[in-house]
Amino acid sequence: MLLPLKRYLTLLKTYLKPQWLRTLLLAILLLTSIGLQLLAPQILRYFIDTVMAGGATTSLIMAGVLFIGVALLKLGVSVATTYFSENIAWTATNQLRADLVAHCLSLDMSFHKEHTPGELLERIDGDVDALSNFFSEFTLHLLNNTLLAIAILVLFFLVDWRVGVTMTAFAAIALLIMVLIQRRVVPYYVKLRQVNAEFSSFLGEQLAATEDIGANGAPAAIMRQFYLLLRRWLPINTKANFADYFMGGTLLFVFILGAALSLTLGAYLWSIGAITVGTVYLIFSYTDLLSTPIGEIQTQLQDLQQAEASMVRIEQLFSIHSALADDGNTLLPSGALSVEFHNVSFSYSPGAAIIKSVSFHLPPGNLLGIVGRTGSGKTTLARLLFRLYDPQMGEICLGNEPIKNVRLHDVRQHVGMVTQDVQIFHATVRDNLTFFNSAIPDSQILAAIDDLGLSAWLNTLPGGLDSELGSDGAGLSAGEAQLLAFTRVLLANPGLVILDEASSRLDPATEQLIERAIIKLFSGRTGIIIAHRLATLQRVDEIMVIEDGSILEYGQREEVASDPSSRFSYLLQSGVECGFIQHVR
Amino acid sequence: MKTYQLLWRIVRFQPWVFLISALFTAFFFSSRVIFGYIIQTFFNILPTSRHLSPMLWEVIALLVTTALARYIVTLGGGIIRPLSFFITQSLLRRNMLERILERPGAQAVPRSAGAAINCFQNDTEHVANMFGWLYAAIGLFLFSLGALIMLLRINVQITLLVFVPLVCVVVIAQRTQARVRGYRQSSREATARVTSLIGEIFTAVQAIQVAGAEAHVVAHFRKLNDHRRQRMITDRVLTDALDAIFENTVGLGRGFILIVAAFTLHTTRLGIGDIALFIYYLTFVAAFTQSFGTLIAQYNQTSVSFERMLNLLHGAPAGRLVSHTSLHLRHQPPEILLQSKTEKHRLEVVQATRLSYCYPGTGQGIENIDLCLKRGTLTVITGRVAAGKTTLLRVLLGLLPRDSGAIHWNSTIINDPTTFFVPPYSAYTPQVPHFFSNTLQENILLGLPEETANMPAAIHTAVLEKDVMKLENGLQTVIGTRGIKLSGGQAQRTAIARMLVRDAELLVFDDVSSALDVETEQLLWERLFASRASTYLVVSHRRLVFQHADHIIVLKDGKVEAQGTLQTLLATSEEMRKLWQGETQSER
Repeated sequence: MLLPLKRYLTLLKTYLKPQWLRTLLLAILLLTSIGLQLLAPQILRYFIDTVMAGGATTSLIMAGVLFIGVALLKLGVSVATTYFSENIAWTATNQLRADLVAHCLSLDMSFHKEHTPGELLERIDGDVDALSNFFSEFTLHLLNNTLLAIAILVLFFLVDWRVGVTMTAFAAIALLIMVLIQRRVVPYYVKLRQVNAEFSSFLGEQLAATEDIGANGAPAAIMRQFYLLLRRWLPINTKANFADYFMGGTLLFVFILGAALSLTLGAYLWSIGAITVGTVYLIFSYTDLLSTPIGEIQTQLQDLQQAEASMVRIEQLFSIHSALADDGNTLLPSGALSVEFHNVSFSYSPGAAIIKSVSFHLPPGNLLGIVGRTGSGKTTLARLLFRLYDPQMGEICLGNEPIKNVRLHDVRQHVGMVTQDVQIFHATVRDNLTFFNSAIPDSQILAAIDDLGLSAWLNTLPGGLDSELGSDGAGLSAGEAQLLAFTRVLLANPGLVILDEASSRLDPATEQLIERAIIKLFSGRTGIIIAHRLATLQRVDEIMVIEDGSILEYGQREEVASDPSSRFSYLLQSGVECGFIQHVR
Repeated sequence: MKTYQLLWRIVRFQPWVFLISALFTAFFFSSRVIFGYIIQTFFNILPTSRHLSPMLWEVIALLVTTALARYIVTLGGGIIRPLSFFITQSLLRRNMLERILERPGAQAVPRSAGAAINCFQNDTEHVANMFGWLYAAIGLFLFSLGALIMLLRINVQITLLVFVPLVCVVVIAQRTQARVRGYRQSSREATARVTSLIGEIFTAVQAIQVAGAEAHVVAHFRKLNDHRRQRMITDRVLTDALDAIFENTVGLGRGFILIVAAFTLHTTRLGIGDIALFIYYLTFVAAFTQSFGTLIAQYNQTSVSFERMLNLLHGAPAGRLVSHTSLHLRHQPPEILLQSKTEKHRLEVVQATRLSYCYPGTGQGIENIDLCLKRGTLTVITGRVAAGKTTLLRVLLGLLPRDSGAIHWNSTIINDPTTFFVPPYSAYTPQVPHFFSNTLQENILLGLPEETANMPAAIHTAVLEKDVMKLENGLQTVIGTRGIKLSGGQAQRTAIARMLVRDAELLVFDDVSSALDVETEQLLWERLFASRASTYLVVSHRRLVFQHADHIIVLKDGKVEAQGTLQTLLATSEEMRKLWQGETQSER
């Protein structure tokens, strides 16, 4: 119990502190509501005792009117409480969501390789939702209920010490039973949430692949997988839910026993003349009232447990640190950057080296073309330049500065990249181009669009820059998406630009269309072009042929191309003369 | 179909489960009538004498016995009720998933995948909860009926007064329901936007990091979050305010009881136990009215959820959402029957005439395209960016619904290409293939029985054999979330193997060379064309593919610009010359 509470307190401090005034108001509202709840049985006792004593009708009517007044006041307090607690909860959990998104965005790619967007959605929205109870309901209501329970027990002692002792013992036993049951059921909830998350990620994968599934006749296979998942899910669901009913049912049963106890005790005390009939009723009412806090304390403990599972996962997420230490403080110079690799070796998993002792130097302003088979390590080289990963051995320098010594953000501001996958957001064209950076003026965006020949496309959109794009890039061809990615880089104005298979989806005619813009993009910048197609390499200064993670050939393009024994010249030959086509026919 | 009709169809799926759930809940609530009787008797007897009557102990014993019976019923309900919820959610999910998978693949989900997942998770849960409210309402109704009879026998005047708030509450609920509906919808939409954005952010994580745009993206996320917070608060405050009004009718009602009792005490015989009974029952009679009100509100929210789910079904009849099909909960789901290739699948000629499709709201698409694919030929579709190449493939294969045009397979007209163009008639490799968190083998087979598929041949032709050999567990290597990630080229070739293993008559490739290097691609086509056993339809602008082609179709702005053999086109088409030139010039 203590461990989760400690966790909560830490979270509380972080997320409720900025809202202390609202929180304080909420606390006052809750205290008022406790007072009103305790007042009602007192009025009833007064009423019954007055009746028994044959008291005045006006006193009885006054009691009734007071009762109505209390009810109306409770109504107001209740609505205000909802408003404040929801507001606090959403403000706090939104903050947590944003922190989580920011944190996950700061993690390196090895993390994202292992966690699908669907899974992160479950963490960031699902788990945080489970926590949202915690912020308002759990924290303040637990406090509220604890105070209510204590107040009732104190009132019991004020009635008669025997009532106080008996009912305190009863409350303690009831709470203990609840807590004991509680502990047994937590693992079931954890399992249930796991299988829920599994379903989410199953669904995410299927929905992304509807084209692949449909055109290859696989729907039946997918449905079968769904059925198999259901079959595993059902027993877990049954157990977790039964545990829930077991707890709820036990609570009700225990409290009826409590009512029986209070009636027995009340009857006895009445028979010896220690209390009035109104007081017997008061004890009965308060015992009933006690079931609310004890029941809620246990459901809130239950929420706590659910929240705990969520919290553990969120903490795990927060505790994952990027494998990349971001402690550099050097700044990169503006303008074209030189690129240098010193004996760089890298592997994604131990033992399977992707990059093997690579060294080269690219002077500022030069354009390097990298060719090699798929899986030879070309894309990995680019990722290393961005510090999406750190090499296990060797050193990478940009502008003669080891990139480990430069702030990560600064590295990425000075390096731009276009990859083959262009991600489109369900947002305006403007936000898609600027990556939500509102500081970039429209004039600059329009100029970049114009440079890349995307104006015609923009003109077909009724809302111009304000037009919303679909998240899947619906209505946007692969080529247009690619041009959009070029525009993003132009707007970021980096000192080094990497094109990773960037033109692979552009047909040659379109490629020619943006050539002017690409030249502009590379002018005054260092450039690296990674391409499977030799077509994109015609304007590079230097060539690197890479195979199995090692540099096979490196040099001035003309030199390498004119060396008849070089791999590159062989590739050029096969490309230009299409020798293999004759060979096939 | 109305919401209640949809609910009823769900009940009819497994009526016993729902009936027993309702009965258990009904007993649970009705037992309160007995508790009320006990309280009444106790407080009526107690004041009569300081001597404790044995009847007091009998009443207390009855209290404990009833509680025990109710405890047992609660536990039984703990098994059956969750089952009814599970069945409800699973049935809805099953039907939605099935429908999505039969939709044109490129348009399967109307909005973002995140919003669809939201639908699968939250909206189905809403419907399941609706049944919970329904059970409770039935139980509370039975209890209220019993309570009403007991109260009327004690004092008609006070009893009627108890039911005044009830009427008020129902009126308030009906007046408010329209507003609750509106706010609910808008809060759901705000939630969907947030969840979609999370999905998009983590799909694009590398692009965001590379652009150094983390802070801006988070700022945008905060903006959507805040919008959601405002919607949510409005929604919740309104719902809770309604609840609070219901709840406090109890307090008001009790106050009224006290006042009326004060007036009538001198004229009628009203025991302390009778007053206690009124006060006790009022809580639950009010709970009934409250649950009735909540039921109305929940019903409205369920309608919103149904609306969203039906929206996801994309035009299918509403009955589809609740159609009765086995969930295979008790037995293993049946193995998949494989459609084996026979003479009737043989492709002689595939013809498409005047195919048109326009992306909604963009004015882009394809227009009046004719296509003729003869057995054993290679047809290449080429053109510059946004010429409509992928769109044409999608429309032909039914991955997008055509606006007009006709498709023939041999001489048969194909009205529903979406269901027709599947193996063994055709198979497809999209430009960006998608895979699942499963073994490489399962990703290639996609449910095909292992023994009937010629895996080695497919892997060889797809030039995947070396990659498989390099993997530690070969074909059993897990890829995706919990496994290794395929490189772009590997993914493309895996998708080709997935297509080839299906042994289809027509093979459709959408620009598969985009992630392949020259040598690998050369090998791929070499192997593919070694036996021209299939018919090929390929989007490409590679020279080597052009040179193989029997027929080339050049698209421009969604229309056929030119078509013919390479020689003819180079001689006659300026656009083809540009495409060819671009490729040649850059490779030299």
